[in-house]
Amino acid sequence: MTWLIWRQHRTEVCVLGLLVGIFGITLLALGTQAHDLFPGGPARCAGEAGAGEACAASFRQLDEQYGYVENLLAVFYLVPVVIGAFLGAPLLARELEDGTWQLAWTQAVPRMRWLAAKLTALAGVTVALTGVFTAVLTWFRQPFDAWEGRFSDAFDLEGLVPVAYALFAFGVATAAGALLRRSLPAFGVAFGAFLAARLPVALLARPAYATPLTTMEPVPVGGSTGQAGHPSVPTSADWMIERGYADTTGRRLSWTEYYELEEAANRAGTNLNQFLHGRGIQQFGVYHPADRFWTFQLIEAALFITVAAVLIGVVVWRVRRRMI
Amino acid sequence: MTATELALRTDGVGKRYRKGWALRDCTLALPAGGVIALVGPNGAGKTTLLRLVVGLLEPSTGTVEVLGHDVTASTPRTLSRVGFLAQDHPLYKRFTVAEMLRFGRACNLRFDQGLAERRLAKLGIPLDRKAGTLSGGQQAQVALALALAKRPDLLVLDEPVASLDPLARHEFLQVLMGAVAESGVTVLFSSHVVHELERVCDHLVVLNHGRVTLTGDIDTLLTEHRLLVGPRTATDLGRAGTVVEAVHSDRHTTLLVRDGAIPTAPGWQAQPVGLEDLVLAYLRRPSEPSAAVTSGVAA
Repeated sequence: MTWLIWRQHRTEVCVLGLLVGIFGITLLALGTQAHDLFPGGPARCAGEAGAGEACAASFRQLDEQYGYVENLLAVFYLVPVVIGAFLGAPLLARELEDGTWQLAWTQAVPRMRWLAAKLTALAGVTVALTGVFTAVLTWFRQPFDAWEGRFSDAFDLEGLVPVAYALFAFGVATAAGALLRRSLPAFGVAFGAFLAARLPVALLARPAYATPLTTMEPVPVGGSTGQAGHPSVPTSADWMIERGYADTTGRRLSWTEYYELEEAANRAGTNLNQFLHGRGIQQFGVYHPADRFWTFQLIEAALFITVAAVLIGVVVWRVRRRMI
Repeated sequence: MTATELALRTDGVGKRYRKGWALRDCTLALPAGGVIALVGPNGAGKTTLLRLVVGLLEPSTGTVEVLGHDVTASTPRTLSRVGFLAQDHPLYKRFTVAEMLRFGRACNLRFDQGLAERRLAKLGIPLDRKAGTLSGGQQAQVALALALAKRPDLLVLDEPVASLDPLARHEFLQVLMGAVAESGVTVLFSSHVVHELERVCDHLVVLNHGRVTLTGDIDTLLTEHRLLVGPRTATDLGRAGTVVEAVHSDRHTTLLVRDGAIPTAPGWQAQPVGLEDLVLAYLRRPSEPSAAVTSGVAA
């Protein structure tokens, strides 16, 4: 069976291996230079220490020279999806497309053993490739994570969730392939399903995995205008969900109310912060603290892997009941 | 294999798809040894029946027993006793012929690689060619060599020659019949073409509208049935239950009857019937089960 699986899927495995290899080498090359900007290691500049003059200079340089790579990386959360969908789609679809399922399942290998071997091998390759990709990406992002934290910017690039996304795509692609009997549409369905699932998860479900914390403090007299930038809590390592202004009682102001205040300050010709401070306006922040990162990773990974497991379960059931 | 062993026994087998029943009330007992033809028009349920026999499908009703074992058990041992050649003889198109043989060796218990190589060499099919680049006839031969190298006790073929040109068809049947003579494998194959069957088959199953309309040893069937030609008549001559088909011309009536050798009425002439005419007569019959003709011959 090992030889057969390798022979049937070596093209996909090689193409994906090459892809991950090229990405990996590029990121290693660029990352080595980026890491060199931090002689003591990027971790030294994280958090409170990040305010130091040397660190600030390093971060500025990092942003100037490698900021574009970081922006590019933002869409790299789709790479695990490509890996999973590319390996899952042909698993059953190609056999059904070419009629070779009739060949495969009438040899002396019982179909359930055949299916178990294929699922294990290809899901294993999916996890391995995604794991390597994520490891390199996480290493590359170390200076960026030290700077801006990874909770808000790199949540779906690092940790467990990329592997979960890959397995989700693998499961959807396998199931869609079994139903549609075509590899390419199955790949498309997996890709579309991921995009459709990710949007509500990232926007609605993820912030609600736990009750966010809220800070509320008066507007400082000498603070910078506009942005509420208190350095200590929440820090850039936390995941800021919402920030804004509230009146003395703690009632949150709508943005229209805030702009009215701003206009009033302009008319009065006073400094905005002084104006707000004088009126007892407070600034608030709703956020998830940085130490929730792994809890959130576990919850989101479990969510996607559960869906994948259910879909694979349906496929196994259908093959067992000889409905394919 | 004992002489009394049945190659295939089905009991009340039915298969229902979402669109409806593809096969109903299929009860068969087919002997091991020899060649069994499954005949019927397109859409009669032949492929469904064959897929049930090799365990690719699960029956909605009834049981299928192949060589004495329930096929849904699907152990390596039972699977290795049955060879299957699906319609359009699918192969892994990007595998070379040698890799197809390696696939057979990897997935079977008693695969005879040498046998397959000898067969392919005799046909001049190179082992290093990609399966997808071979001609249709060659692909069919590779698929057949693969199925035979499994050394099955029952070989099931779904429309094996339907897509082949006359020359390839002849060559394919020659190889198949050679293998039957050599190894004694029982062959069950489907076809919608009736002629040529008489030459190669021992046993016949006619399937129409998802039901078995006729089954039996070909020689016996041909002895039991005959054509009676006489003056045109509307009456059934008291042969109720034995008339398969009545054809009336201006002056004559021709009856196909299944009555063994009961003496004919005065003015009537008896003639033997050919296999093709016999099958066609059964295929023209309406599909309701009550119309079944039981043998008029006392058992």
